[in-house]
Amino acid sequence: MNVYLLQVVNGVGVGMLYFLLAVGLSIIFGLLRFVNFAHGAFYLLGAYFCYQAVAWGLNFWLALLLVPLVVALLAWLAERTLLRRVYDRPHEFHILITVGVALVLQEVVILIWGPLGDNVATPAALQGVVMWGGFIYPKYRLFVIAFTAVFALLLWWLLEGTRLGSAVRAGSESAEMVSLLGINVFRVFGLVFALGAGTAALAGALAAPIRGVDPFMGLEALGVAFVIVVVGGMGSFSGALVGGLLIGIVQSVMSTLWPEGARLMIYVAMAAVLLLRPHGLLGRG
Amino acid sequence: MNASRRAYPLANLFANPGWWLALAVVLILPLTLNSGTLATEVLVYALAVLGCNLLLGYTGLLSFGQGIFFGMGSYTLGILMTRAGLGLPLSVLLALVAGALTAALVGWFAIRQRGTYFVMLTLAFAQMFYFLAYSLPDWTGGDNGLLNIPRPPLSLFGMTLMPLDSPWRFYTLVAVCFLVVFWLLQRVTASVFGRTLLAIRENETRASAVGYDTRRFKLAAFALSGAVTGLAGAFHALMTGIAPLSNIEYHTSEMILVMTVIGGTGNLFASVLGAAFYVLMSDWLSTLWPRWLLLLGLLLIGVSLFMHKGLWGLLQRGWTALRRGRAAAAAPEGAPEGER
Amino acid sequence: MATLAAAAPASLSLRSALAQSAGETIQFGCPVPMSGAFAANGKYADLGMKLAIEQYGKALGKPLAYTLLDTEAKPATAVRKLQELVQQKNARYFAGGILSSEALAMAKEAQKNNALFITTAGADEITGADCNKSTFRWSVPTFGAIERTVRPLIEQMPKAKRWYTITPQYVFGDGLLNAAKNIFKEKGIEHVGNSYHSLAEKEFSGYLTNAMAAKPDVLLLLNFGSQSSDALRQAVSFGMKQNTTILMAWASGLEQFESLGADLCEGVYFGAQYWHGIDSPGNKDLVQRTQQTFKFNPNYSLAGSYICTKIFIDAIIKAGSDDPAKVIPVLEGMKFTGLTGDEEIRPEDHQVLKNYYLLKGKAKSAMKDKDDYADILSFGKSFLPVAQTGCKL
Repeated sequence: MNVYLLQVVNGVGVGMLYFLLAVGLSIIFGLLRFVNFAHGAFYLLGAYFCYQAVAWGLNFWLALLLVPLVVALLAWLAERTLLRRVYDRPHEFHILITVGVALVLQEVVILIWGPLGDNVATPAALQGVVMWGGFIYPKYRLFVIAFTAVFALLLWWLLEGTRLGSAVRAGSESAEMVSLLGINVFRVFGLVFALGAGTAALAGALAAPIRGVDPFMGLEALGVAFVIVVVGGMGSFSGALVGGLLIGIVQSVMSTLWPEGARLMIYVAMAAVLLLRPHGLLGRG
Repeated sequence: MNASRRAYPLANLFANPGWWLALAVVLILPLTLNSGTLATEVLVYALAVLGCNLLLGYTGLLSFGQGIFFGMGSYTLGILMTRAGLGLPLSVLLALVAGALTAALVGWFAIRQRGTYFVMLTLAFAQMFYFLAYSLPDWTGGDNGLLNIPRPPLSLFGMTLMPLDSPWRFYTLVAVCFLVVFWLLQRVTASVFGRTLLAIRENETRASAVGYDTRRFKLAAFALSGAVTGLAGAFHALMTGIAPLSNIEYHTSEMILVMTVIGGTGNLFASVLGAAFYVLMSDWLSTLWPRWLLLLGLLLIGVSLFMHKGLWGLLQRGWTALRRGRAAAAAPEGAPEGER
Repeated sequence: MATLAAAAPASLSLRSALAQSAGETIQFGCPVPMSGAFAANGKYADLGMKLAIEQYGKALGKPLAYTLLDTEAKPATAVRKLQELVQQKNARYFAGGILSSEALAMAKEAQKNNALFITTAGADEITGADCNKSTFRWSVPTFGAIERTVRPLIEQMPKAKRWYTITPQYVFGDGLLNAAKNIFKEKGIEHVGNSYHSLAEKEFSGYLTNAMAAKPDVLLLLNFGSQSSDALRQAVSFGMKQNTTILMAWASGLEQFESLGADLCEGVYFGAQYWHGIDSPGNKDLVQRTQQTFKFNPNYSLAGSYICTKIFIDAIIKAGSDDPAKVIPVLEGMKFTGLTGDEEIRPEDHQVLKNYYLLKGKAKSAMKDKDDYADILSFGKSFLPVAQTGCKL
């Protein structure tokens, strides 16, 4: 099978995880206009909680369900106690406080689990590869694609088909208007922040069997997340999807075309989008 | 009053305490610190933070790209001194120019967008320059960085002025340059140019409607910021003898920004406070506990919750409280019966 | 609270006009990353030096002491803190530098300050183009690492003619790659492809897809640390273990096995600077000491730091003086009982001549204890002749 075709398929796999990582950040920014530098830390927590749950003997599937909920709860608490107080301050304070939170969480992870990093075994049912002609691909990565696609549909339904979703979408346009309509905007903010963190945690938990866990995975995740959010369009759900897939495919194809430039290209793409279509590919103009 | 201020520029210095406070810091550091290198590092980062504050506090531009200019300054000085064999003063000057030019280039692209898009653009550029530096090892030494940067005695126009071998001697050079730059920046920010920047920060649309070419002003602010930050990078390279890749890394940009916000964006001296606080605190905390970043994180959270005017605001509040306390203590005796 | 008060900044005190006197203590420094991405290595390096210092306690009648310096994996911070320790405590002996970039920078600074520096960092330049009188290195650089892993594997698997390499794109990676290419040419190996990647890369699926398309017999991983772990983990997930032999030329040893797990490592070949299973009197002694003090087996970071410190202490004792100028000639050519057997310091470039090991990962069922991840297949000493290293001392 043509190696480029393989790279595209691989890129989709990578891209779906990127989507999951970025969609929370995008929604948070869209509604809260809040630059969240702690987003990577929620990804980190998701991965480590998953690791710990599995180490305690919990079923991986159950962990996948519970871990995002736990992290979402923690994020909701953080929003209510800490972050809410800086909403009305200039952007640099959003950055400062979330950088602080990210540092604290990273160091706490090191305190609890040590600085070394660890492995999370792929669940037995998903070990091994699928082989189809010349196409070899890990079963687990296929699962990630499928799972994320289903989750994306769920999320889409949440945003388009429910009252909460309408409040979120309307709030992205005008938070003032929404509150004038009688909706408790702050409660929506809290839920959205929790939702964003929860999806990041889910991404972390899903990624754990692929790339293991280590205390600094939050930092790398944050960098990629920003790229995807920018490319796709801040505040746009479908933008996160398209952006994630695009970046994932670009990265994969580059590893054949120009391997050392793979990382550089994604930042070039980010800058290009910002200059030519600042609202991103699918963002609202 | 204004006429006399213009006629006697020295009067400005007394009216605005910033420079005097900076001088105080420059004099206090050698008295309280054991390490000349640490003191120099405080001033080096103070310069970088001044550059960042010029964009953030005065023009309202939140730049994640300061590390680019810092690194460019280091690399330029390193390349010129180790490859081209240029002297110290010329290399420092050219590093400053390199910082300004790079900032003008980055700024030209970045200012096409505003708000969060601007921030993200500077972040993207920071990453791109990092990869560039990493991928051109023939120029930058790649991951190893440039090594063996000399620190010859300071000589101008053929005359040797002073040796720079010991940390405190080098500190003296950096301190003098720092005070000069601080003074220049004070003049700039107090000038019409500076006030225009403030107007742009407050309301760019209005400033543009009034007739200012806001793009040109923002670009100039970038160039100036880049020059000061490049200078800082050059001194850093001289101080350590190396131009490492980490100077142009994203983390450097983040660190400079954090220092700027901690210090306070209200005025220039606040930047000195922020740099001094961060550098000295990190140095001290790192000897206490390997997990000192946790303490730093808590500090950042604390600053953003309770000190939104930064350390400078804290100082101001303390000063005002002190004066009010003194006035309250003086009042009972002074107030005549009738005033109640 | 009391400790906090006692830990008042050493840098913050009234500067006395008199320089601090040399005192009666021999001061060591341990400049390693304690925060940031390499914190794990730093943590164990600290323990290694601690072990050596406490083992001796004194040298030449003077007490031994050391200060831990957090370099934060930044060369500039490392340089500054090294210099400060020299100035404040008259420390002249430094063992550390986990990353090549910080080690190179510290090597220069040590020389400027008339101090001695010994490191386990891997960059060839440390005892090559950037060598100096103050700097010594215990670990085996790229040439030996490749000679002692690629060559024995080729001999063991004569039918494996197609090799694919994954290389981190920087000087060190190129050093490993070039050494490998030389052996490929000599042995008629077909180098079916190479994927360069940046030091920040985490996602190797693209490179692995490329590798699999080239249908190699052997996948040679030339990266290290978390990148090599990620690459291996992902390679195994792609099923590459079924029809490809995997060799990780520059593995970290025990800590890497622990983070990967036995199932992943089974059947994979690893190159290592050190293994706690080495059968030598020096190593057996270290293992016993480490078990006694810390209740675990020594890993590479700990062992490297221990032996580096020990080398300096032994040299000081042998020289009868703690003046670096008198210790350097003793170090040059010094033969000693090292961790890998008999080791010696090559006088022309200050490189310690020691063994490098080829390990093979064992099945979980074959492990005799929780640390018995691998068997030593072969080992030996391979170093470039001094003339080819570019070192001119």
